[in-house]
Amino acid sequence: MSNDNAAPSSSSAAANGSADSAAPRRNSKRPKYSKFTQQELPACKPILTPGWVISAFLLVSVIFVPIGVASLFASRDVVEVVDRYETACIPAQNRTNKVAYIQSSANKICVRTLTVPKRMKAPIYIYYELDNFYQNHRRYVKSRNDMQLRSNSSQDDTSNCKPEDLINGTAIVPCGLIAWSLFNDTYSFSRGNESLNVNKKDISWKSDRDHKFGDNVFPKNFQSGGLKGGGSLNESKPLSEQEDLIVWMRTAALPTFRKLYGRIEVDLNRGDTINVTLGNHYNTYSFNGKKRLVLSTTSWLGGKNDFLGIAYLTVGGLCLFLAVCFIIVYLVKPRRLGDPSYLSWNRSPGGQR
Amino acid sequence: MSGGSGWERIRSTRGGRLSRETSLTGRTARTVRLGRVQPQAPGYRTIFCNDREANLPVRFKGNSISTTKYNFLTFLPKGLFEQFRRVANCYFLLISILSMTPISPVNPVTNVVPLSLVLFVSLIKEAFEDWKRLQNDMVINNNPVDVLHDQVWETIPWKKLQVGDIVRIKQDGFFPADLLFLASTNADGVCYIETSNLDGETNLKIRKAVERTWDYLTPEKAVEFKGEVQCEQPNNSLYTFTGNLIIENQTLPLSPNQLLLRGCSLRNTEYIVGAVIFTGHETKVMMNSMNVPSKRSTLERKLDKLILALFGTLFGMCLVGAIGSGIFISSDYYYLELQRGVGLEFNPSSRFSVAILTLFTLITLYSTIIPISLYVSIEMIKFIQCAQFINKDLHMYHVETNTPALARTSNLNEELGQVEYIFSDKTGTLTRNLMEFFKCSIGGEVYGTGFTEIERGGAQRMGAKIQEAQRSPHAVHEKGFNFDDSRIMRGAWRNESNPDVCKEFFRCLAICHTVLTEGDESPDKITYQAASPDEAALVTAAKNFGFFFYRRTPTMIYVRESHVEKMGNITDVPYEILNVLEFNSTRKRQSVVCRYADGRLVLYCKGADTVIYERLADGNNELKKITREHLEQFGSAGLRTLCLAYKDLNPETYESWNEKFIQAKSSLRDREKKLDEVAELIEKDLILIGATAIEDKLQEGVPACIETLAKAGIKIWVLTGDKMETAINIAYACNLINNDMKQFIISSETDAIREVEEKGDQVEIARFMKEVVKEELKRCLEEAQHSMCTVSGPKLTLVIDGKCLMYALDPSLRVMLLNLSLNCSSVVCCRVSPLQKAQVTSLVKKGARKITLSIGDGANDVSMIQAAHIGVGISGMEGMQAVMASDFAIAQFRFLTDLLLVHGRWSYLRICKVITYFFYKNLTFTLTQFWFTFHTGFSGQRFYDDWFQSLYNVIFTALPVIIVGLFDKDVSAALSKKYPELYKEGIKNMFFKWRVVWTWAFFSVYQSLVFYHFVTISGTSGKNLSGRMFGLWDVSTMAFTCVVITVNLRLLMMCNSITRWHYISVGGSILAWFVFILIYSLLRENVYYVIYVLMGTFYFYLTIILVPIVALLGDFIYQGVERWFFPYDYQVVQEMHRNDPEDNSRAGLLEIGNRLTPQEERSYAIAQLPRELSKHTGFAFDSPGYESFFAAQLGVHAPQKAWDVARRASMRGKPKPSKKH
Repeated sequence: MSNDNAAPSSSSAAANGSADSAAPRRNSKRPKYSKFTQQELPACKPILTPGWVISAFLLVSVIFVPIGVASLFASRDVVEVVDRYETACIPAQNRTNKVAYIQSSANKICVRTLTVPKRMKAPIYIYYELDNFYQNHRRYVKSRNDMQLRSNSSQDDTSNCKPEDLINGTAIVPCGLIAWSLFNDTYSFSRGNESLNVNKKDISWKSDRDHKFGDNVFPKNFQSGGLKGGGSLNESKPLSEQEDLIVWMRTAALPTFRKLYGRIEVDLNRGDTINVTLGNHYNTYSFNGKKRLVLSTTSWLGGKNDFLGIAYLTVGGLCLFLAVCFIIVYLVKPRRLGDPSYLSWNRSPGGQR
Repeated sequence: MSGGSGWERIRSTRGGRLSRETSLTGRTARTVRLGRVQPQAPGYRTIFCNDREANLPVRFKGNSISTTKYNFLTFLPKGLFEQFRRVANCYFLLISILSMTPISPVNPVTNVVPLSLVLFVSLIKEAFEDWKRLQNDMVINNNPVDVLHDQVWETIPWKKLQVGDIVRIKQDGFFPADLLFLASTNADGVCYIETSNLDGETNLKIRKAVERTWDYLTPEKAVEFKGEVQCEQPNNSLYTFTGNLIIENQTLPLSPNQLLLRGCSLRNTEYIVGAVIFTGHETKVMMNSMNVPSKRSTLERKLDKLILALFGTLFGMCLVGAIGSGIFISSDYYYLELQRGVGLEFNPSSRFSVAILTLFTLITLYSTIIPISLYVSIEMIKFIQCAQFINKDLHMYHVETNTPALARTSNLNEELGQVEYIFSDKTGTLTRNLMEFFKCSIGGEVYGTGFTEIERGGAQRMGAKIQEAQRSPHAVHEKGFNFDDSRIMRGAWRNESNPDVCKEFFRCLAICHTVLTEGDESPDKITYQAASPDEAALVTAAKNFGFFFYRRTPTMIYVRESHVEKMGNITDVPYEILNVLEFNSTRKRQSVVCRYADGRLVLYCKGADTVIYERLADGNNELKKITREHLEQFGSAGLRTLCLAYKDLNPETYESWNEKFIQAKSSLRDREKKLDEVAELIEKDLILIGATAIEDKLQEGVPACIETLAKAGIKIWVLTGDKMETAINIAYACNLINNDMKQFIISSETDAIREVEEKGDQVEIARFMKEVVKEELKRCLEEAQHSMCTVSGPKLTLVIDGKCLMYALDPSLRVMLLNLSLNCSSVVCCRVSPLQKAQVTSLVKKGARKITLSIGDGANDVSMIQAAHIGVGISGMEGMQAVMASDFAIAQFRFLTDLLLVHGRWSYLRICKVITYFFYKNLTFTLTQFWFTFHTGFSGQRFYDDWFQSLYNVIFTALPVIIVGLFDKDVSAALSKKYPELYKEGIKNMFFKWRVVWTWAFFSVYQSLVFYHFVTISGTSGKNLSGRMFGLWDVSTMAFTCVVITVNLRLLMMCNSITRWHYISVGGSILAWFVFILIYSLLRENVYYVIYVLMGTFYFYLTIILVPIVALLGDFIYQGVERWFFPYDYQVVQEMHRNDPEDNSRAGLLEIGNRLTPQEERSYAIAQLPRELSKHTGFAFDSPGYESFFAAQLGVHAPQKAWDVARRASMRGKPKPSKKH
C-alpha cells in the first residue's frame, strides 16, 4: 500500500522550484528573458481616432494657409514681362521656310518693343525661355566631359562627347553636344534712347564657376567643324568666365526651360517702353521650338510662381474642409471608440446593422 | 499448425487489401509523395559478421549521417545556384549584365550593388543554417555505442560503426543502425522494442532471435560468432526483410522478426547483442526520411503573382516608353546630332530598332520596380522571428521536458497566421498516452473526488465554482492511478454500505486481466507489463485498493489482499485461472474464469457498457440504471469507461462449457469465431458490479487550446490509428465533439460489411465497400447540406474509419468526402494508416485550397507532417522522427495557441505589411521615373543619380521596413489570445488581398504624380532672390528628398506600435539620406553641390514640407475613413484596450516559465458542455496488438492481428496468394 511516489506534477514543480532558486541551471534550455525576444519592447500605440484625424487636419490647415498666403503674395509681387519672338523675328517673307532663314547668313537682327506693366525694381532678371528643347535627352545629357571642363590637364579627354569630340583628331574644348548647341541669341535693351546695361556677371551658380569649370581651361576647336550647333566662345577667356556656357550646361530638367541671360540693374517704371535689339541666331525652328524673352523681378521665393502658394492654400483649405466634414460626421453619427459591436464576429450574420 | 487457417484467412484478406492500397497509392502518388523509392541494386548483399576485414572489399557505407546541404567546396556554387533559382535574383543578374552595355542609361552600380548585397546576406544565412545542421548531425553521429572488440565491449561513437560489427544495446538505448538480433538477456531470446519513433505506436513489439544465436550474449561467446548474412539490398520498406544467416554451413532464414531498426529503442530487456546489417543512410529509417521538400508559404506564392504583375507593369511601362521613343525620334532635334555617327538606338531612320533598344534601356531604368531586397528582407525578418521570437518565447518553453519551441524552417512563419485546418495525431499529441484510474462506480455509488479538465471547464462556463476537494494527506498519485476517496481507500470500503460488492469489484480488477508482472514483488517496485495502458491502470488501482496482484503463472494469479477479513490483515491469496476469454474488438469484453482456494468458481468480466448490459441477468434494475447514469456522466467528462460484472458458476455447468471451449480452442477452422461463440455461452446472466473510469490523460491545456483554436476559425481534424471508440472518446474529451453536435459516422464495422468480408472474395469486398461508402457519403452529404440550410442547425462532425476512408479517398468519391468534411466543424478519422493521414491532409490542402497544419509526435505522423503546408512536431519526447520532418517543433499541443494566434498572426501581419510596403515604395519610386520619361523624349534618361537609385532600396528605405517586420504588433500577445477571432483576418487573408494591393498601387500612382509634378511644375521660374535656375539634378535631388521623406513617413503611418527602434530607423534613414547627399554632392560631377544650392533656397524647404504632406494626405484620409467607418477587428480591439496599462508580463514570465497560471488556464473558456447527461459513454480498453502480445508472452502461438508490425512485414515478404492468377 505504501507508495512514496510523489505525484509527477508536484515532483517536477519542486524540481523547478529548486532549479529556479539555487542550482545553476547549466543544462536548461530555458530562453533568457529579454524584452526583445518576448516582443515586449515599450512602444507607443498610436490609434487614429477621430479626434486625431480632425486635429491633424486642423493643424495642417492652420500651418498651410498662412504659408500659402505668404507665398502667393510673394509671387504676386513679382513682375514678369514675357515676349515670344521666334516667329515675329523672322521676316514675313521667310516665314515659309524658317529653318532655311535661320541657317542662312542673313542679318538676323530684330527689334522688339516691350511695355513695363508695373514698376520693376532692380535687379531685373533677363531670361530666355526655350520650348520643346530636350536638354534632358539621354543622348544630350551625357554628352559632356566634366573632367575636361574642369582641368586643363585632361583637355584631351573627350569620352562621352561623341559626336562632338574631335576635329581632325584634336580634341574640342568644351566637347559634347551640350556645349556645341550653346544658345546664341543676343539681347540688348534700351529705354527710349538710354541703353540699359545688361550685367552678365554672376548669372551662374558659384559652385559651377568655382569647381566645375576650370579657370585654366580655354576653348579650343570650338564650333570649328562644318556644322555649327550654336554660339561660339571667346577663346581667350577661360571657361570659368564663360558664364553663358556655364548656365547652358546646367541642363534643364524639362523640355521647357528658362535660363538666365543677365541682369538689368536699374529700376523700370510702369509704362516704360523697352526696345530690345535681338540677335535671332538660334535655331529652334527645326523642331518647332518657341523662344521667349522674359524680364522678371524676384521675391524671397524666387520668380513669378503662383503654384506653391495655390498648392499650400488648396491643401490648407482642403484640410479645413475635411476637418469640418469629419466634425459634422462625428456629431451626426458618432462612433464610440472600441465599440464591440463593430467586431466582425459580433455583427450578426444577417447584417442587421 | 493450429493457427494455419487463421493465417491463411488473414493473409488473403490483408494481401488483397494491401494490393488495393498500393494501387490506390499509385494513383495518388502525384498528390502525396512519400519518400522516394530507391532503385534497388540487384541481388543480395553479403555481410561477414564480426569480421571487419572480410567486409572491407564491399565498402559498405559508414554509419555517420549527414543532413547538410552544402560542404565547404560546394557551398559557393551550389549556394549561388540556389539563389539564382529565384526569379528576382535572376532578373537582377540579367539587368546587371544589361546595365554594363551602352544601351543602359544607368551605371552598372545601380543594379550590381543591391544584387551583391542581397546575395551576400542570403549566402550568410544559408551558411549559418547549414552550420547548425552540421552540429546536429555531429551530436547524433557521436552518440556512444558498445561494440565488440577483442572480447570486450568498447564504447565508440555511432559514426564509427561498420557493417558486420557486433554491438550491445542496453535497456532504453536506441539502435544505432539496423541490427540483426542475435541474443538477449531474456531467457527465450526475445526482446521488446518500442517503435514509436517509426510508427508512433507506443505498445511494445516483440522481436525474437533465431534460436541458434541465443548464446552469443557475453563478449567471450559473442567473439566466436562468425556468421555470414545474405540479405536484401538496403531499401525503404520498414516492414519487410528477407535474408539468410549462414552459420557453420547451416542456413537459417531471417525475417523482420530478427531485425532491429535504427531509431527504435530497447525496452524491458537488460541488453541485447546484435550484428550491424545496414548503416547510416542505408538504414531503413534513413531511406524513409525523404529530402524534406522545401515548403514555401502561400503568401510567398501569392507574392510571386504580385511580382509577376509587377513584371507585367514593367513591361507595359517599357512598351509605352519604347513606342514613344520610336515616334519621338527625329533628326529635327538637330542638337542631338542624330544624322551622323549615331548608333541604332537613336537612329531616326530605323524607328523600329530604336523602339526595341529603348525597350531594353527602359527595362534597366525601371528595374527598381522589382523590389530586389524584398526577398532578402523577408528572409531576414523571418529568420529573426524564428530565431529570436519563436525559439525564445518563454510562453512556449516547457519546463518539465526542458524544451523550448523550435522553428526548423523560417519559411513558414506567416503561414502560421493563416491556418484553417489542423490535422492532429492523437496519442502523444492530444493525449499523453497515460491512462490513470480516475473514478469508479461501485454498486451504484460514485467514488473518486477528482475533476477532469472538461468538468472544470463546463462548470466555469456555467459560472459555478468547483469545490476542489482537499486531497487527503495519504492520497496516492502514481503512474496509472490518480484517485482519491477516503471512503474506499485503505480498507475504508469495509464500512461502506455494500462491502461485498466492493470486494468483488477489487477482485475483478485484480484478477480479470492479462497483465504480466515484472521486477520485485513489492508494491513499490513492481512494474506491470500490459498490452494496453488501461489494463495496467486497472491493476494498479487494485493494488492501491489493497488487492495487490504480484505474481502470475500460466495457471495461477496471486493477489496480496489487505483488510479483507479484518482491518490490517494481509494475506496472499492464490486464484486458479481456468480460462481466459480474451479481449478482441468484436467482443469488446474480456472474461476470466477463476477458482478460489475454497473452490468457488467465478467468472469475472469487464468490457464495454453496451456488451456487458446485454449480458446482465434480469433484475436489480435500479443498480443498472444508476450505473448507466454514472457511465454517461463519466463519458461526458471525457473518461474511458469499463463495466465490471461477475457471475458465480456451478461446477457442472462449467465443466460442460469447458469441454466446448477446449474443443473450440483446438479447432482448426474458424477457431476465433468458434471461440467467440463458445464464450457467448458462458458470458451471460452476469451480475453488474460497477464501472471504472480511466482518464486518458490529455496533454495539459488541450481542451482549452482546442476551444481557442476553434474560436479562431480553425477546424481541427483528429487523425489517429486508434479505434473508433477511443477516437470518439478523445474527441469528446478534447471538446471536439459534444452532444450538441450532429455526428456522421461512417464505419466499416457493420454487419453487412463483415458478412461480405467473411466470404473472402476480394473483388466483391472492394465493390461492396465502395458501394456502402458511397451511399453513406451521399446520405451524410445530403443531411449536412440540409442542416446547413437551416439557420441554427447543429454543428456537424464526421467520424470515419480508415477502411472506409480508403474507399472514400477514391477519386470518384473524393469530391463528396471533401464537401462533406468541409461542412463539418470537426472530423475524426480513426484507424488510419500514415499514408492515409497524408492523403487526407493533401485532400484538404489541394482540394479545398485551404492552409493546413499537421501536428504529431511519432514517425507515423511524418507523412502528414510533410504533406501539410505546415508540419508541427511535438518535441521533448523521445521520438525525434516527427520533429525531424517538421517545420516547427513545440513541446505541447497547447503551445499551438501561442504559435498560431500570437506568432503566426503577427508574422502574417508583419510580412503583409512588409510586402505591400515594398511594393508601394518601389512602385512609387519607379513611377516618378516613368513620368519623367515622357518629358525626355522617351530617351530613357534617368531622373535620379545612379547612386540614389542603387541606395534607395538598400539604405534609405531598407531598415525601417525590417523594423516593422520585427516589431509591429497590432494588439498584445495576451489580447491575441483573448480574442482568438482576430485570427480570422489571417485566414481570410485580409491584409494581402488584391484589393489591398490595388489600394496601395492607387496611392502609389497618386504619390508619384505628386512627387514628379509638384517638384517640376514650377520649373520655369527662378528659385531664389538671385534669379538663378535649377538644373536637372537639382530638381531630381529635390524630388528624391521628397520621396525618401514621404516613403519613410508613410511607414510610420502604417505602424500599430511605434518603438524607439522605429524612430531611430526612420529618422536614421532620412538622416542617412541627408548625410549621404551632403557628402556625395561634393564628390560627383553631375550632382556637384546641388544640395547646397537647394538648401540655399526657401523654395526647397517649402517644397519638402508641402510634397510629403500632400502625398500622404490621400493615405491619411483613406486610413481615417477606413478606421472610422470600416474598422478592422484588430482596430476595434485596439480601441477597446487603448487605456490598458502596458502589458508587461516580465515578472510573471520569470516566475511561471511554462505553466499557465490556474487563472489563465481557466480563463480560456472551455466548451459548452450540455447540462443534460450525454448519451456518450467512453469505452476504454483497446490497443492494437493486444491479444497477440499476451499470447506471445505465454508462448502460445496466436494469429497475430493485421495491424501488428511483424505480421504485416511477414505478409509483404511472402508472395501474394495465388488467387490473383
